[in-house]
Amino acid sequence: MGPPGREAWAQRLAAFRASPAAFLAGPDGEDLGRALLDDLRSERPSEPTKVSLLALSLEFAAQLWPDAPAAEAAATCLLDTLLLLPPRPSALRRPLLLAATTVLVTGGALSPSSAAARRLLPLLLDLAAGRDPGRGFGPASEQRPLQATACECLRELESCRPGLLGGCVGLLRGVLAREGPVQPLGLLLALALRHASGSPTGARAALRSLLTAAELPPGPAPCRWTLEEEDTGRLRPHASSWPDAQAGPCGLVALEPSPQEARELRALVTQLLDASYLLAPAAQAQLLWLLGWALRGLPGPPPALFKPQLVRLLGTAQVTLLHAVLGLKAAFGEALFTAQDEALLLRRLALAAQHPALPLPSQLFYLHCLLRFPENCPLGPAAKEARPPLLLSAPLCRGLLPSLLQEPPVLLARLRLLCLLCAEGDGEEPGPSPLRYLEMLLAGLRQRAALDGAPRASAALCFQASYLAAGGLAGQSPTLSTLTHGLAWLYRTRPALAPHFVDLLNKVGPELGPPLRGVLRQEVLSQPGGGETLRWHLQMLAEVVTAEAQGAILQFLRAAAPHCADWGLQQALLRVCRVLLRGGVGGGGLADLLQVLASQLGDPDARDHARLYYMLLAHLAAPRLASALAPSLAAPALTSSLVAENQGFTASLMIQEAPAPLRLSVGPRRAGGPTPALQLLVEALEPAFSLELRFSAPGQLYGPLRALHVPCLHPGRPAGPLHLPLQPRRPAPASLDVQALYTTPSGHTRHACLPPLPVGLADLFLPFPQPPDGSGPRFFEELWDACLPGGAESRLWCPLGSQGLDAWVGCHLQPFVVAARPPTSYHVAIRLPPDSRLLLRLEAAQTEGVPVALRTDNWAVLPLAGDYLRGLSPAA
Amino acid sequence: MVYACVPLVEQTLCPRPPLVSISGISQGFELLFGIQDFLYSRQKNDIELNTKLNQLPDLLLQACPFGTLLDANLQNSLDSINFASVTQSQKQPAWKTGAYKGKPQVSISITEKVKSMQYDKQDIADTWQVVGAVTCKCDLEGITPNVTISLSLPTNGSPLQDILVHPCVTSLDSAILTSSSIDAIDDSAFSGPYKFPFTPPLESFNLCYYTSQVPVPPILGFYQIKEEEVQLKITVNLKLHESVRNNFEFCEAHIPFYNRGPITHVEYKVSFGQLEVFREKSLLIWIIGQKFPKSMEISLSGTVTFGAKNHDKQPFDQICIGSTAYLKLHFRILDYTLTGCYADQHSVQVFASGKPKISTHRKLISSDYYIWNSKAPAPITYGSLLL
Repeated sequence: MGPPGREAWAQRLAAFRASPAAFLAGPDGEDLGRALLDDLRSERPSEPTKVSLLALSLEFAAQLWPDAPAAEAAATCLLDTLLLLPPRPSALRRPLLLAATTVLVTGGALSPSSAAARRLLPLLLDLAAGRDPGRGFGPASEQRPLQATACECLRELESCRPGLLGGCVGLLRGVLAREGPVQPLGLLLALALRHASGSPTGARAALRSLLTAAELPPGPAPCRWTLEEEDTGRLRPHASSWPDAQAGPCGLVALEPSPQEARELRALVTQLLDASYLLAPAAQAQLLWLLGWALRGLPGPPPALFKPQLVRLLGTAQVTLLHAVLGLKAAFGEALFTAQDEALLLRRLALAAQHPALPLPSQLFYLHCLLRFPENCPLGPAAKEARPPLLLSAPLCRGLLPSLLQEPPVLLARLRLLCLLCAEGDGEEPGPSPLRYLEMLLAGLRQRAALDGAPRASAALCFQASYLAAGGLAGQSPTLSTLTHGLAWLYRTRPALAPHFVDLLNKVGPELGPPLRGVLRQEVLSQPGGGETLRWHLQMLAEVVTAEAQGAILQFLRAAAPHCADWGLQQALLRVCRVLLRGGVGGGGLADLLQVLASQLGDPDARDHARLYYMLLAHLAAPRLASALAPSLAAPALTSSLVAENQGFTASLMIQEAPAPLRLSVGPRRAGGPTPALQLLVEALEPAFSLELRFSAPGQLYGPLRALHVPCLHPGRPAGPLHLPLQPRRPAPASLDVQALYTTPSGHTRHACLPPLPVGLADLFLPFPQPPDGSGPRFFEELWDACLPGGAESRLWCPLGSQGLDAWVGCHLQPFVVAARPPTSYHVAIRLPPDSRLLLRLEAAQTEGVPVALRTDNWAVLPLAGDYLRGLSPAA
Repeated sequence: MVYACVPLVEQTLCPRPPLVSISGISQGFELLFGIQDFLYSRQKNDIELNTKLNQLPDLLLQACPFGTLLDANLQNSLDSINFASVTQSQKQPAWKTGAYKGKPQVSISITEKVKSMQYDKQDIADTWQVVGAVTCKCDLEGITPNVTISLSLPTNGSPLQDILVHPCVTSLDSAILTSSSIDAIDDSAFSGPYKFPFTPPLESFNLCYYTSQVPVPPILGFYQIKEEEVQLKITVNLKLHESVRNNFEFCEAHIPFYNRGPITHVEYKVSFGQLEVFREKSLLIWIIGQKFPKSMEISLSGTVTFGAKNHDKQPFDQICIGSTAYLKLHFRILDYTLTGCYADQHSVQVFASGKPKISTHRKLISSDYYIWNSKAPAPITYGSLLL
């Protein structure tokens, strides 16, 4: 199959772009990278198709060639394609250079060991220096765009390998002097300087190259692949935060440049700055940020070099340029900006923040810059956040204050400034009081929100503004009081805003929360019980109930109850009761109310709830009640209060799964009693009350096992052994499933599954009743003979330990011995419930072992008995 | 259309760095503004918009090689893709992708917008402000032609303030930089000429923006509403200031009634012009026309009756609650600026080959020109609060 044509590629690329990951995981995914490279080399696809293929490899290099070997191979292929292009104009050279660089960088193949990187770097340097790399590399008309592209590629390599081109600074400067493309070269030089400023050796290399290399020397390119140890910690590629003027220079003071070096460096910086107006504004800003950093680290050029640019920059309203000036201000402080300069900068920012000709986002950004203006901040804690810049005087702010006619984001941003001014203001500034204006503004917002049919956005804006004002005016009690009463008015006028109020109450701090709760409670309680607004009042009340007003609250609820006709209202009513219960508020009055509700509410579910609450109130003490009704921690992310409430309630009433609070093990056997039984040892891991242990045996091996009860368990306090009787239906070992049900100290019931408990054959052994003295041997012989012919017989050899047969029997089989002639002969008879027997005849013991003859009336027991005997330890 | 941009922040995010310290924030803003300009300038319909949207990926590769924003002017990027073979020299600014060939000409147009809030109240001051924009298109040969444009004011003109210039302006007088609306105006204020030396880009661009405080609003208005049961009694007086050029392209007063029903009946008397009634929209438009009468004063009085409110059809407004109401003036005067600001053809200096033809245009447009009902509360700004 030949290579796909233009249409096929277009479809393939569209499918890839729609979902790169899905495409790569699909059947065509594996081949895409290879097919793309093949087609770039092939002559068949048209140039525009190839350009679109290259655009794709630029955009998705990391997906197409994700690891270093693949990236290396792809970059090699791209470079080959580039060098094989016929020497006529082509739109492919620039994207090929960009793609090769991108692939090397994103694939992590950029290193001195990469052959492709070793080919690419000299090629880029040649192109950047405006020299023909040979073999008719492109026509002359393409020289300049290629030169620019090569510079951009070099800049990317330097970004990823800080310091790589430190030694080429002199060379690049020479190119700039010979009329190289000013923007890409300028940015590349600035980046190289910025990186050189990060390390003494880098700086040294850059300075040296400034003096020597105006021409590319023959031989390998002067690139520094490896960075010294000391560099790596400090250099982050192209960090975008501004440097801090207070932090002092970056630590290269020790590097003393020679006068000649210092002169050259200064000349270079001046050259870059002088040509900066030829750069596009965004690139100019980049250059300024980079040079700002570079000059912070490099000894020699003073920050005053920036001065001639400042007036030009301050005159524009370009976001990037003014921001870069702020960056310089932060970096150099007083070294570059006198107090007057600083005041001018602030004025320009203030006017840009309110200039009607600028778009809103710019205005907001400038306002943010004003509030975060880098200056020597006033001393004291929290000074950075809580006050406007020192030089931002009230007259300067006058045009920056909010008004009702503004868009909500602008209004809120400016409101923040207004609050700062109010908090600052000592009442001595000329002009109307900002506090009074703030009150008027908030009142206007409330009026809008109160309007019947006003959109949700205007209510939201009012509450956002109130929240901001409450936070900003913590110390201004008269204004806070006005705000509180204004909000109470708003609630009275439009109770449907109750959800907004609930939200606000949950967010505001102590300066507004408690007083607002108080006035809102009064508002609600002064309302008549019925009407359309009842549900809002109930919702509000659930948020603001307190113990002090319980009489009035209960009265309100009693009056409201007959009006609660539908399920929703009844639930809202019950919700208030629930909050009262939880807070331990209400007492007898609440009990009466709940009783009334339990009989009078229309909805059965609501009646049940009321009854349940009544029962809980009557039977549980206050702390227990609170925990039974508290919202569950298990469901903190649920936003609906209904669901959350239900979850909390369910959690307290339902049994939750939990890890086991104890460890169980089988203790020493104690033969005796009418049935076999296990002695269980308990080790408590957590406190547990009313513990119930439930056991079950698989496959009907045993009869029902009864549950065991322990009143209380505490870690560290020993608990007595537990006695678990077994009722085997067949004499067989088993593994018992164990479950624990218990109450935690917090009152919740928990359920846990414990590890299974093994029951061995020996656990089922019971002795025969002791025959009368002297009749033992005969009794045994009768049993022995009775086993056959229905039963089974076997013989085996049991190894004995050093202590001999006597000790071995004493250790394992003592309760079951019916006749013995110690130390050589023992006759053992064992009952195996329900109705089997196992007889052992141990005679003629030798020093190392004893032959054992087994007989049983149940053939199924024989292999189990054999296993048991073989498993007995030789020595006890 | 939602524009979003995620700047790369290569530093620790905890504690959260302030936005202002991240250079990528302003770069992101610039890029988004650039995209917005590119998509909506000179765009006529959805097909063109789609074409431009399809060009975006390639343009972004061009404008942000390796993710670094180099030029937010995407039209430039498009041009540089299309004219990549144009030979560039070092002095070629990066923001100028080619060179103009043809008859040299320079076009300068000054557009002033005047906005106002008039209350006619004792304790609230009326406010008005002029915002000017100077747009240039310089078709000049050569790589970096230099142009200096001077804006001048007549002797009684209002000083220009809050001047923001295009980044191609190479130097600025400090008086231009510091004249600001923050300061009170006195006689010592710098009143020009305002010189802007620059190297023009190829496209049309906004050389500068300014604001100005003219001593009086061009049209002084008075608006009063009296509620009488189901009808409103309205009175409007408008007075054109004598200094203003009485030659409008158009002049209209829009009188909307919000949060009420449709207009069912209007009885009115106008001293000048005609009144149009838009019943369903609850809107009156008083078409004043091209000229105020000799007296410079005109008036409208009448009663308006409203039907039952129907929320779906009649306009809702959050500001105009109760009797709070406004009328809004829409007008345009050609060949006139309120500040008096003009660009003298003879003062335009061009350092380029050939003598260019210089054309200048001026106009004044109203924008947000409100006159509020003086009998009801009205939204105010801090600036209009009197002591």
